[in-house]
Amino acid sequence: MSNINGKVYAMNVVTPMKPWKTWLLRALFFALWHIKPLQQDLINLSFIEFARWVIIPRRRFPFLAHGQAEEDLQYDYLLFFSNFNGTWNQYIDAFSSVLSRGLNLIWRWSEKFPGSVPITPFKEYIAQVQFDTDYYYTAYPYATANDLKAAHIVQASLDQLAQQANTANPQQFADAYLHFMLQVQAHLGNTGEAPLVS
Amino acid sequence: MPNQNGKVYGLTILSPIIDDETAIPSHDLQIRNYLAKLPTDERSPFALAPATHLTRLVVMDDVIYVGMPACEEHLKSKYLIWESNCDGNLNTYLTGLAASIPEHLDAIWSHCVGYPGASNLQAFIDYMKACQLETTFFFAAVNDKSVTETLRALQTQRAVSDFIANHQGMDPARLQSDFNQFLTELNAKPTPRAGILTPYRDIKTGGRNE
Amino acid sequence: MSNLNETDIQGFVLRGYNMPFARYLFLHFEDAARAATFVHRLMGEVTTGQRWDSGKPQSTVNIAFTHRGLVALNLPDATLLSFPVEFQQGMKKRAEILGDTGRNAPDQWDELWREDNVHAWLGVNASSPEALNARCADMLTIMRETNGAILLAAQDAAALVFDGIPTTKEHFGYTDGFGNPDYLGVERSVQPGQGKLMPNGTWAPLATGELLLGYADEAGELPVAPVPHILASNGTFMVYRKLHQNLATFRTYLDEHAPFYSGGKEKLASKFIGRWRDGTPIELSPDHPDQSITQDPNRSTNFTFSADPVGTRCPVGAHVRRVNPRDAFGFDGKLINRRRITRRGLPYGTPVPEGEPASDTDERGVIFIALNANLSRQFEFVQQQWINYGNDSRLGNEKDMLLGNHTGQGRFVVQGDTAGTNPPFVCSNLPNFVELRGGDYFFLPSITALGMIGMGLVDPR
Repeated sequence: MSNINGKVYAMNVVTPMKPWKTWLLRALFFALWHIKPLQQDLINLSFIEFARWVIIPRRRFPFLAHGQAEEDLQYDYLLFFSNFNGTWNQYIDAFSSVLSRGLNLIWRWSEKFPGSVPITPFKEYIAQVQFDTDYYYTAYPYATANDLKAAHIVQASLDQLAQQANTANPQQFADAYLHFMLQVQAHLGNTGEAPLVS
Repeated sequence: MPNQNGKVYGLTILSPIIDDETAIPSHDLQIRNYLAKLPTDERSPFALAPATHLTRLVVMDDVIYVGMPACEEHLKSKYLIWESNCDGNLNTYLTGLAASIPEHLDAIWSHCVGYPGASNLQAFIDYMKACQLETTFFFAAVNDKSVTETLRALQTQRAVSDFIANHQGMDPARLQSDFNQFLTELNAKPTPRAGILTPYRDIKTGGRNE
Repeated sequence: MSNLNETDIQGFVLRGYNMPFARYLFLHFEDAARAATFVHRLMGEVTTGQRWDSGKPQSTVNIAFTHRGLVALNLPDATLLSFPVEFQQGMKKRAEILGDTGRNAPDQWDELWREDNVHAWLGVNASSPEALNARCADMLTIMRETNGAILLAAQDAAALVFDGIPTTKEHFGYTDGFGNPDYLGVERSVQPGQGKLMPNGTWAPLATGELLLGYADEAGELPVAPVPHILASNGTFMVYRKLHQNLATFRTYLDEHAPFYSGGKEKLASKFIGRWRDGTPIELSPDHPDQSITQDPNRSTNFTFSADPVGTRCPVGAHVRRVNPRDAFGFDGKLINRRRITRRGLPYGTPVPEGEPASDTDERGVIFIALNANLSRQFEFVQQQWINYGNDSRLGNEKDMLLGNHTGQGRFVVQGDTAGTNPPFVCSNLPNFVELRGGDYFFLPSITALGMIGMGLVDPR
């Protein structure tokens, strides 16, 4: 399936918005960007590697002339690209149960958005406005966002331990090594294939 | 800057695809066919070129009609969407791609309106800028590590897990000397190849390492 | 929410009967009309959820159907096709999704489950072997008189007896049976720790629709259910898995690794599951078992993990933490509420006391039975994402220590601290302690639905 590469899923969504509503959405994103605690829930959900929202105003579709017909649209469009770990259902279930207010704030400006709770009409809407990926590449297909964070913790702890590896005597080193193990002991999971989805 | 999040850059390019009824198959289908055959693992052009964390290419045929009372409308062109999460900034990234995988870039974007080819670097960058959309909001779970740092960290994690498992209950002197040897070996290992689907194993020959 | 009509719900759904003996009969239907007559005859036998005010019966009977069983009963196509996809496919076709590969793959299952002949499960529970045999004989009589069903095979299960005392232990010696969820309106004593966590730290029952079709679930809607409404309502889905236990492998592994673990053998064993073998939760009592906690329903499941984020009391990958993370993923535990299941199984095979020789090839293990309103969202999710995978616990690809399909690889890390008796410890080269020998997905209808099936009256609209 070209939407999936290893443990990460590429979701593409396009929804129409009445142009006067676009400014409200821009203001929301501005607030979200600058008020970091609002992003905390997104960070804590920890299964998104990268995600982005892109507003295309109706007159700003790239136009290069050379015989290209110019667009003549009534709606602005909101594009959403997510790179997430886990299954499609798991992803939407999680957002709907803990981030429904945030989702509503972003998508309520899109036409015919049913709200993110209850879950079934929400999933039907996403299925309708999602389109498929033709080519998906990741430099680390067997690592989820959690694996990446764990790996960086292990690397940082190892670098710290390495500084004492030569200078300490064996007993001091053994103490430092125990300290090192305690830092990394919850971050050692091996990476590998993703569970099969279908 | 909305396109930038820490050290990671969010590139969103929307390229109009040439609409030529005399082309058989049509240009969008030619792009699709090319992409369908392109490897997505360590042989991917984006693995061979530098700085790409995650990227996708999507042919967007049209916008989607969500049903009444929304109005039905259609795009006049099809568009090739290129979403990339990369190290550096627009200029360094595109320069790196044009230098290492120009033939793939040309094979894909030659079907797009006004594409000048990757051989003229400035024209190539100007083209991409003309097609660039500003990312309104860009989220990254990890935004301060390059591709190389990430691949090395994953290799380190696996090696450390093995080392800890194999050195339980060892006496301190032996532990220390084993550890020093482990460090030396680990630092000498090349960076694992990007995009690889099998658990890392020592590469003896071939391939360009990133 | 409406009150539950307990006389319309099969007793097996609402109650763990606490009867130490069971025999599960697997049936095949050859003719739809005769099979319907058989179901109709059973109506007088099937145990409902009615309270046992005038005394506990000696035995109980309950029935459930596979999708192919409903096909064999000639239910209308529109109804059959309205069942969730995973139920239509059956557990065998879902093997790769569930991680049932290698030694757990369908081609390694018992013959009964390798074939596609099981149409119904007839579950008989009893307080004594005599009552069990008598009731099963009654069932066989009905089958014969109606010529409505063929018995393919029977699986016996019984509470394990150690030192002459019936226990709730399974073969590895762990005390089982904790932590079945509380649901709104299902009348049981509500126990702290079994429901869902509220923001103020108290526990509330889960929405009824997490167990029973036709009621609101935790997502604020009615769970996906087949049509007509009256066929689905008050019913549920059942997972049946015969889990063989490799007792020799387990004891050898524990004996070989315990000498290197300074906390001792029993403590190491407790770290695998998250409870001492007597049932004490290690999150509450990490250093020694404590029956005062275990015997007190207000304490035995009343714990959370937020004070133990690194896993030094209860390892991050321990079984109870994997299958019910409680608040370990943050968000006041909201991500967990739609992933709970009710368990009803019993062990099978003869127990072997500690110290006596055991073999892996003897028939022994656990009949794992789970009930949930939605197979893919509840059981399948836990099996796929939390048992045979570790990403949500930030453990990469690591699997559940005892249940995981390890095939000789994988690791289990016991997180520790600087205390001498609680060191960090890594278990590697994990064998398969448990193997799957077969099973399937069943639909457990309400009494009304059984009546409709028995009279051939199912109409999709």
